[in-house]
Amino acid sequence: MASVSDMYDVTWEEMRDKLRKWRDENYRNSEQIVEVGEELIQEHASKLGDDVWIIYEQVMIAALDCSRDDLATTCLHELQKQFQGSHRVKRLAGMRLEALERYDEAFKMYNDILQDDSTNTAARKRKIAILKAQGKSTEAIRELNEYLEQFVGDQEAWHELAELYINEHDYAKAAFSLEELMMTNPHNHLYCEQYAEVKYTQGGIENLELSRKYFAQALKLNNRNMRALFGLYMSASHIGASPKASAKVKKDNVKYAAWAASQINRAYQLAGHGTKETKCSLKAVEEMLESMQIMPS
Amino acid sequence: MSCEVEFSALAFVKLLLHASRFPHCAVNGVLLSECSEGGAGAPEGGCVCVSDCVPLFHSHLSLSAMTEVALQQIDIWCARKQQRIVGYYHANASLTDNSPNTVVLKIGDKIAEQFGNAVLVMVENSKVSLDYGTPPVILYVKKDSKWILKDKNLVMWKQWEDTKRVADALSSAKAYNQLIDFDCHLDDIRQDWTNHDINAKIAELCSPANGNL
Repeated sequence: MASVSDMYDVTWEEMRDKLRKWRDENYRNSEQIVEVGEELIQEHASKLGDDVWIIYEQVMIAALDCSRDDLATTCLHELQKQFQGSHRVKRLAGMRLEALERYDEAFKMYNDILQDDSTNTAARKRKIAILKAQGKSTEAIRELNEYLEQFVGDQEAWHELAELYINEHDYAKAAFSLEELMMTNPHNHLYCEQYAEVKYTQGGIENLELSRKYFAQALKLNNRNMRALFGLYMSASHIGASPKASAKVKKDNVKYAAWAASQINRAYQLAGHGTKETKCSLKAVEEMLESMQIMPS
Repeated sequence: MSCEVEFSALAFVKLLLHASRFPHCAVNGVLLSECSEGGAGAPEGGCVCVSDCVPLFHSHLSLSAMTEVALQQIDIWCARKQQRIVGYYHANASLTDNSPNTVVLKIGDKIAEQFGNAVLVMVENSKVSLDYGTPPVILYVKKDSKWILKDKNLVMWKQWEDTKRVADALSSAKAYNQLIDFDCHLDDIRQDWTNHDINAKIAELCSPANGNL
């Protein structure tokens, strides 16, 4: 079987750097990580220096994601040898048990960590992850809320809470969680856009107006966010057509919708240069925008 | 209810590749069928032939804005291609959860408003591997405003052995990494949600003796 370095003509340094990039940006491309990481640790472990330990951790988690218990166990053993008694490694052992669906044992392992160190956030989060895996969403939400009372600045946790609420269709609480995120990350266009989508889903003219404003804000922060652009178009169109809106509000929203439509068309024109397939999308979008043309009242 | 549902290789393989590309997420998509003469509603005593599918999302399936955008674009594309939306597929994130949730039923209802014999397909996650014998899906149809299990005897698979062979070949080759859903398209609008390239691969792999898919 051809090696990664042969197939893609890369050096071990490039492989190491790729792994770092995936680590820093929190990608979940587990199959790729396993492919690249396994070769790196098998062929080049001695050259990696201290990086090797964090790579073992990264590869182990990816291996669990791909049901590669053999590789995960190898990585775990190396880490256990090197960092005896470490909570961080113990958490990894717990994750392996989770992957094997041995949830009770994993739970006990995390509780052991927490007995030793009650502030260990990683162990608390794993316990919540187990609840999620077992389908116990209500309990997971409750535990996560308790966690956030103590660790109110944990962005990852707020985002997870928003996701859990969205899955439970509790859009009001999801919106609240996203508001927390937007307050602490005012320049993050993704939080604005997600908040806008939640408001849109809640429906009703006030929520639609809010959603339009936040789609617009997301666009201001990143003018290439297509979801924000489409969202602006959809929300403005709905308000423009709503019998509950005043004449002025309708007129303004028709204008916003028209602007969004022209931007969408422009984006698709630019993208459509080239393949026949993208021209399909372009036509579909053009017609969609035409069919939704609002007649000013 | 009493009409048969037939699945083509193209529809099943793409659905499977979609679920395989995002194994840790819930995924969904719509099922398409070539239009028969007669237009709206069920063909009398005929068969619903699911000939294709469009993969939709792998995140925030219950948020409606992008779903509306996708369904409108797909409707328009279908009209050009003489196809129509006849169903919806969904794979839950959790391995052991195969039941249709509120979102599934809501979208199913919307589709059923336009097409009386709409079919809901839930992926049986735990059966998806390289070794399933029978198709790892559960079908529901609407009867008296409720979604009920479709009689398995009325679900046909066009050339199941070939379908499975193609699915296995593409899964082993990790072709799912090239499967584009609407979420991917919204991330980068140059990506083609009609999956022209994958369609061609599937056509190529399907037994030439069959003729069409």
